[in-house]
Amino acid sequence: MAGPRFTADPPDMMRTVELDGLTALFHLPSGTTHILAPPAPQILAALADGPATAPTILARIRRAFDVEGPRRSGGQRRSGALAVLETRIAELEAAGLVSRL
Amino acid sequence: MSDLEDQKPAEQSPEPSRRFVLALGAAAASTVVTIRPALAQTAGSVLNCQIPVPAPQAAGSYIDPDGHIVAPGTPGAFPPAPRPLTGEEVKVMLRGGPSPAGIDSQSAQAYANYIRRLQAGMSGFTCYASLQMPR
Amino acid sequence: MRHQVQLQIGPVALRVGSQWAGPIKALTRLYEGYPEPEAPCDFTVRLEPDKPWRRWIRPSVAVGGDYRLPGSVPLALRHGLLAAELGMNLQMALGHKRHLLLHASSVERDGRALLMTGESGAGKSTLAALLGERGWRLMGDEFALLDLDDGTLHPFPRAISLKNGSIAMLETEVEGRRLGPRLDGTPKGVIRHLRPNAGAIAAMAERAAPALILFPRFGADLAPAVRKVGAAEVFVRLTQASTNYVTLGERGFDALTRLVVSTPARAIDYHDTANALALVEGLWADLAR
Repeated sequence: MAGPRFTADPPDMMRTVELDGLTALFHLPSGTTHILAPPAPQILAALADGPATAPTILARIRRAFDVEGPRRSGGQRRSGALAVLETRIAELEAAGLVSRL
Repeated sequence: MSDLEDQKPAEQSPEPSRRFVLALGAAAASTVVTIRPALAQTAGSVLNCQIPVPAPQAAGSYIDPDGHIVAPGTPGAFPPAPRPLTGEEVKVMLRGGPSPAGIDSQSAQAYANYIRRLQAGMSGFTCYASLQMPR
Repeated sequence: MRHQVQLQIGPVALRVGSQWAGPIKALTRLYEGYPEPEAPCDFTVRLEPDKPWRRWIRPSVAVGGDYRLPGSVPLALRHGLLAAELGMNLQMALGHKRHLLLHASSVERDGRALLMTGESGAGKSTLAALLGERGWRLMGDEFALLDLDDGTLHPFPRAISLKNGSIAMLETEVEGRRLGPRLDGTPKGVIRHLRPNAGAIAAMAERAAPALILFPRFGADLAPAVRKVGAAEVFVRLTQASTNYVTLGERGFDALTRLVVSTPARAIDYHDTANALALVEGLWADLAR
């Protein structure tokens, strides 16, 4: 109902360096380097607290940030944000940084 | 952490200017760019990738002889590998070569079977996949 | 191998051998004044006939050595010097792991280094060669070697490969005996090699701290322009300008992020070399710390 649970490797398995608003990330287990734009680093930070569904990830992110989703009218805004977040999570999955349980 | 966490939007803080705005971006934009090697011949150096056995998500679980993850202490199953295995070590193991330093041959076989069962999205899969690629 | 020469170039010892005398003689003359290695060579280049009869009949040179690229096209024997240079590039590109390799030219002044990187024909070799005759010390043309521990650049002063239009420019500036033979009809057009000057050779063990990164772009009809380049863009472009970034794993990541975070970068477009040189001097004065 809430969708699949996602997980990421713990932060000590990654090296990150901020570059001009973007994040360079070295993923130790795969030896691969990625450049991440927000909200990708924030999604990984949210998963540092443990596996979570997309709505939970969004809630964790909202503890620290005011989230701006795609422009939608009132009631649709939250579900719009969730849909976009799910797309972002899928990108992280494709890059091998997030997987589903 | 429970999945039934409160999903209400965060309370409006009395000083909203203290919080940063995080834009999720348009659905079509791309937020992850993976660096590819400049020269194909230097792709996927096996020396630099590692496979934890089992993956961190199953930390503490044991591995049965067929490579399945089982509860810790299951009879006939093997404890987690003492350290992540390097791509080079895994390559040798999968070819039936000697087990890595500090690991007995029966455990190594179980680990090898675990690695063969890795799927996309599981920690270490990228490393395993790059071992399969011809140079 | 019947004929060979050994060269110490910066921190790397290279051996080039061939069944033919010609390429080795040309290489020895081009690298006159370079020290002989004291330790065993890091890499060996072998210039061999690609088929046994090619040693005598329409002789053609296959570029081989410790590392090879399958499917590479052999060169005519008269281009043997070029084959030797390509062979040295290949060994470095595929085998060198002691430093992060960047496909960039580098020149030094006051202990600080200017790095220039970009595509073939962008002008990085020509600009480096000209700066080397205007009070800068040439550190390298093809490869910049970034120290993995302290972020300094090591010199790797191989002969500079001048192509087509740049050849005439440098012929008017340097003594003829620093120039290799003119090689016509190579896969890259006309090529002539230029030996770095005595100062550059004498200082081949002196490192320098990177202070400015430039992405030059030459075009006859390009309007001159200077553009700031963001750190993430510099980082990505440099990973693509490195043959061993991926191989070096975490150390490569640390070294490259350190370089990018601490060094200003600009892209410059130019259509006039004199104008470019003035631009470089100006940016150096403004930005190099």
